[in-house]
Amino acid sequence: MNRSLFIEIGTAQEHKYGEDCFGDTVFSKKIPEEQRVISILSDGLGSGVKANILSSMTTRMAMKFVESNMELLRSSEVMMDALPICQIRKISYATFSIVDSMLEGKTRIFEMDNPSFMLIRDNKAVNVRYRELSSPKWKDRTINISQLTNQEEDRIILISDGVSQAGLGNPKYPLGWQRQGCLDFALAQIRKNPQISAYDLAHAIVREALDKEVDKHAGDDISCVVLYFRKPRQLLVLTGPPFDEDKDKEYADLVTDYDGKIAICGGTTANIIERELCLKCEIDKTSFDEKIPMSSTMDGVDLVTEGILTLTEVYRMLKEGIDKDKNNAAVRLTRLLLGSDKIDFVVGTKINIAHQDPNLPMELEIRRNIVKKIFRILQDRYLKEISVRYI
Amino acid sequence: MEKIKVRICVGTSCFVMGAAQIQSLEFNAPADIADSIEIIEERCMNLCKDIKVKYNRGPFVFVNDRLIEEASYEKVINAIREEIKKSCEK
Repeated sequence: MNRSLFIEIGTAQEHKYGEDCFGDTVFSKKIPEEQRVISILSDGLGSGVKANILSSMTTRMAMKFVESNMELLRSSEVMMDALPICQIRKISYATFSIVDSMLEGKTRIFEMDNPSFMLIRDNKAVNVRYRELSSPKWKDRTINISQLTNQEEDRIILISDGVSQAGLGNPKYPLGWQRQGCLDFALAQIRKNPQISAYDLAHAIVREALDKEVDKHAGDDISCVVLYFRKPRQLLVLTGPPFDEDKDKEYADLVTDYDGKIAICGGTTANIIERELCLKCEIDKTSFDEKIPMSSTMDGVDLVTEGILTLTEVYRMLKEGIDKDKNNAAVRLTRLLLGSDKIDFVVGTKINIAHQDPNLPMELEIRRNIVKKIFRILQDRYLKEISVRYI
Repeated sequence: MEKIKVRICVGTSCFVMGAAQIQSLEFNAPADIADSIEIIEERCMNLCKDIKVKYNRGPFVFVNDRLIEEASYEKVINAIREEIKKSCEK
């Protein structure tokens, strides 16, 4: 991988109307030692729990095989043999698309029976040639293998057939939305907003697919994965006053020297930066919320928020999803975090004595703990590159 | 008449102890005072660092120069009304 490139992975899913769980499974993994990213989308036969089991088994097995560079045809045979057989249809079956992005910008894509992947480069769809492979054991199932060299600003989009078939039964879309419809939509989104994040694009596609459905009820599991190759977007998060007051200046200078976006979380922290850098910090009343203190604006800083309450709420939203109809400080911070690829946390470790008052709610955590939870989830679930420094 | 400045500390501990409710003055203050106040939210005023030594508990609110400790919505409104009365007497 070109050292300066970063792959943002955005996933959006909607399960079939009436089901409780997803029949499609998406599983992505970063292997930092090898500078390698693997992302897998699998669609299990049928829907609901049964499909979920088939597709989860497929993604997990496929991940192990791809990770350990096992020969693909053999791996697929093992996978197909291992899947349980459907009682009704008497076959074992789950589709897959695997994107394996390796060192030096080479990406290999293996597909079986999913709608074929889309590559968008310079705002145009690019057709990539593929090779077909089939195993003697499972003659009717062919695997398509494509290889490409990624460039900056490339996007790879994987969809399940729930996307291409969205709208079936709707007189306006007799053949469903189709892969081409989805591709045209993605191109239009990118034209409108060339920097659209993988997360936003994946969600836009799933929303649009759902719009096509009769009564907006998903007729099948709808899943979309977007991989976006780009220069890393950096974010510096300063939170908490330094343990030693002598470090205040050094701490504030981080703001001046940083190349990227900056967020400050904590009233006292903001006061320190304001004092040391002689900046003016003003409350932004458009972020009013009953539960979360308002954010502020400061020159040269992208977002200033309160500390612990906001971070606690951010952690909750990272776990459960962003509250769609709010625009409070925590929502803004979560968006900023998710829109960044490389996040550097600098955590001041001074304990706020006022927070130790037993009359305050239990949720007031110690900063170090909540930051630790946040960076773990950003790293493991959102695959961000994180650094943490305590001061 | 000059507006009465109501400065509310919205630092973490003041916020959870009740400043969040006091903030609502911004949008639904009683009619008799709504036009004579200006609400200013401030990030931590650092008064909580001196509780027990100098001050009682938060939330801390200033109505003009007068500090209200353990402020509540009612306490702040009463203080504002007193200030209005004072300025009318002048």
